[in-house]
Amino acid sequence: MSTLPWVCRNCLSRITRPTFRRLVRYQSTGTIVASRESIPSGLLARARQIAVEHKELTDKLANDFDPRAARKVGEYGPIVDALKAWDNANKSVAELTGLIHDPETDAELRELAADDLSATRESLVDASQSLTTSLVPVHPFAHLPCLIEIRPGVGGSEAAIFAGDLLRMYQAFCNRHGIRATLLKYENVNGTQEAGLPLSEAILEVGNEGAYGMFRCEAGVHRVQRVPATETKGRVHTSAVSVLVLPSIGENSLGEEDINDPESDYYIDPKEVKLEVMRARGAGGQHVNTTESAVRLTHTPTNTVVSMQDFRSQPKNKEKAWQLLRSRVAQLRREKREEELTALRRSVVGVAKTGRGDKVRTYNWGQQRVTDHRSGTTVHDLDDVMGGGQTLEKVMDSVRTWLMEQDVQALIAEQTTEKK
Amino acid sequence: MPRLSTSLLRNAKAIDPLLPSLLRPCRTLQAAQNELRWLREHVLGDHRTRNHTAAHQASILRRLVRDRASGKPLQYILGTEFFGDLEIACRPGVLIPRQETAASITHLTHLLLTCGALPRSLRVLDLCTGTGCIPLLFRHELLSARNDTRLQLLGIDISPSALALAKHNAQRLTNDTPHISIEFLRSNILSTAPPDSLAHTLTTHSQPTTWEILISNPPYISPSAFWKSTTRSVRGFEPKLALVPPALKPGIGDTEQGDVFYSRLLAVAEEVGARVVLVEVADLEQAGRVARIVKKKNVWDGVEIWRDWPDGHEEEQGGGDEERLGCKILGSGNGRSVVFWREEGRAWLGK
Repeated sequence: MSTLPWVCRNCLSRITRPTFRRLVRYQSTGTIVASRESIPSGLLARARQIAVEHKELTDKLANDFDPRAARKVGEYGPIVDALKAWDNANKSVAELTGLIHDPETDAELRELAADDLSATRESLVDASQSLTTSLVPVHPFAHLPCLIEIRPGVGGSEAAIFAGDLLRMYQAFCNRHGIRATLLKYENVNGTQEAGLPLSEAILEVGNEGAYGMFRCEAGVHRVQRVPATETKGRVHTSAVSVLVLPSIGENSLGEEDINDPESDYYIDPKEVKLEVMRARGAGGQHVNTTESAVRLTHTPTNTVVSMQDFRSQPKNKEKAWQLLRSRVAQLRREKREEELTALRRSVVGVAKTGRGDKVRTYNWGQQRVTDHRSGTTVHDLDDVMGGGQTLEKVMDSVRTWLMEQDVQALIAEQTTEKK
Repeated sequence: MPRLSTSLLRNAKAIDPLLPSLLRPCRTLQAAQNELRWLREHVLGDHRTRNHTAAHQASILRRLVRDRASGKPLQYILGTEFFGDLEIACRPGVLIPRQETAASITHLTHLLLTCGALPRSLRVLDLCTGTGCIPLLFRHELLSARNDTRLQLLGIDISPSALALAKHNAQRLTNDTPHISIEFLRSNILSTAPPDSLAHTLTTHSQPTTWEILISNPPYISPSAFWKSTTRSVRGFEPKLALVPPALKPGIGDTEQGDVFYSRLLAVAEEVGARVVLVEVADLEQAGRVARIVKKKNVWDGVEIWRDWPDGHEEEQGGGDEERLGCKILGSGNGRSVVFWREEGRAWLGK
């Protein structure tokens, strides 16, 4: 006869599990920089290749001047310097460890070497990091100002309310960092510009140089989980807001030649654009005094339509519409160009698309938590995030690091496929 | 005008209680929403009302919406209208600048600037100047493209209130540029005898008697068209003086009265030795009549009709207009202006 009392099956199975599941979300995509001082072999090989090329080019430049070669030498310079620093640090680490492990070294020297080793290791970490960042390609639009477009997704008026919250969050963030941000377009659900109502569309123009590099990580679907203000029964809703980040080209960010250069993404052949202006009905001229100033541009090859009617001045509407059309078309072209590359990269490294369509971050009111699904970062100071404070900066930083790592990984993948 | 549908009014009211009354002059929801937004921005941004309490501002807004609903042009309520890139001040009693006029002037200056044969000094005369918008836009367009042309601009109007407003606009919109002068004088273009005539005015104010470019947007609506085709807001609130030409003699025909200014303008153009002339007209028919008089004169080397948007793509409207009127028609929209030239004028326009 058994001496054990009867235990129900549920309780038995619970004993085998820990009482609390750890509420930690592990990063789903592993980072490639496994140890901080090692450099992926692909990158290192690329760096060596660049160093050889650099040497050849410098020799060539010593004899005769070639502007293209000179520019390339300038580009490669930092990489070669970083590689040299990394090589030096690596060599001294090897020497020091050799000295320590050598049985003939006397005790005093070994102690000194051990002291030196830790300092050298640190410089090696620095060197490998600067080598990695110098190799990673800078995003071609990173230096540009940007447009942040916020639109509610699924979730009805709650999504619209949260879209307004997000807009305020970015505005506060810009305020804190002294970044110039102007509302290009603001429309609440009533189609008016009154503040305080749920938002239907807002376009925030961040005018600082490098803003696109800064806010690029924000593009995607932001998910909110909370009890909405409109909920009467206290249920938690999940809604989504899509944030679109486009590089913006104003008059000062890109020169005239960029707009007029057919090679540029921003070049639009005026012949391919259909311009429609609101016309006075009937006789026109002195017969009517219309205030219609709406302008609609249609880019026929991509079927992109932009209409602008916010300003009373028709030229101003036209100018803003062109600006918006250029940004949208450039983004389309870039996405199209990247598609093939992305397919290749994704087959190797599973890069999440950061354009529209994927949920990138969750704001959970119940747990006062913000989780970014790309970098796997979770922070708990929700109020500070919504106030655009330090915590938001932390999250954005983590995503930027993640983006950089993805770029490195993709670069390596590209090189290995090139070799094959 | 078709009646506004009840569902439209109901939708408008659901969006904003002030919208239904704005639908009356605007006709479409989109236009009404835009106007309400501009009115609201005006109340919130104007220095006179900016510091009022919210309730006071709301009552001011309601009053402005009521004014607008009665047909008062938005431009008179807000005090300005955009003409090309310029924001021109408007006051009741002076005609509001029209977008189509701006399109013609912009196209004209564009042609003059791209021809490469423009002289280093240019005199531009604008008759029936109203707010002074035409010389101001001409100056702005020329200045934004090049800075080496000496420019002398003169606006003529019969109405003292228009002249006061034009001077106010010139003061607001121009800064000190020594090589460009802009002036406004009072004269009656229709009169040929001193002291009112243009020639007399020019000599008494020691103005030059030759002007290379003549532009005019004269009153051109015939009395019957004034009742038939103008909108209520134009008829009720804009000065009839700037819209309908006076009947010079009793028993004058309706179309004849609409065309009163053009024969006089042509005479003035010859008097001042103009090389390029642009006059605004009501429609293609009037444009055809003016072109016919121009051709009959035998002094002009060429004549063209421009539509509302002369730089737009050519629009075939039923076809046969060019053959019927016997001259080239440019752009899209209604027939809007007649342009004619002689001697150097041909090269300036690149024709």
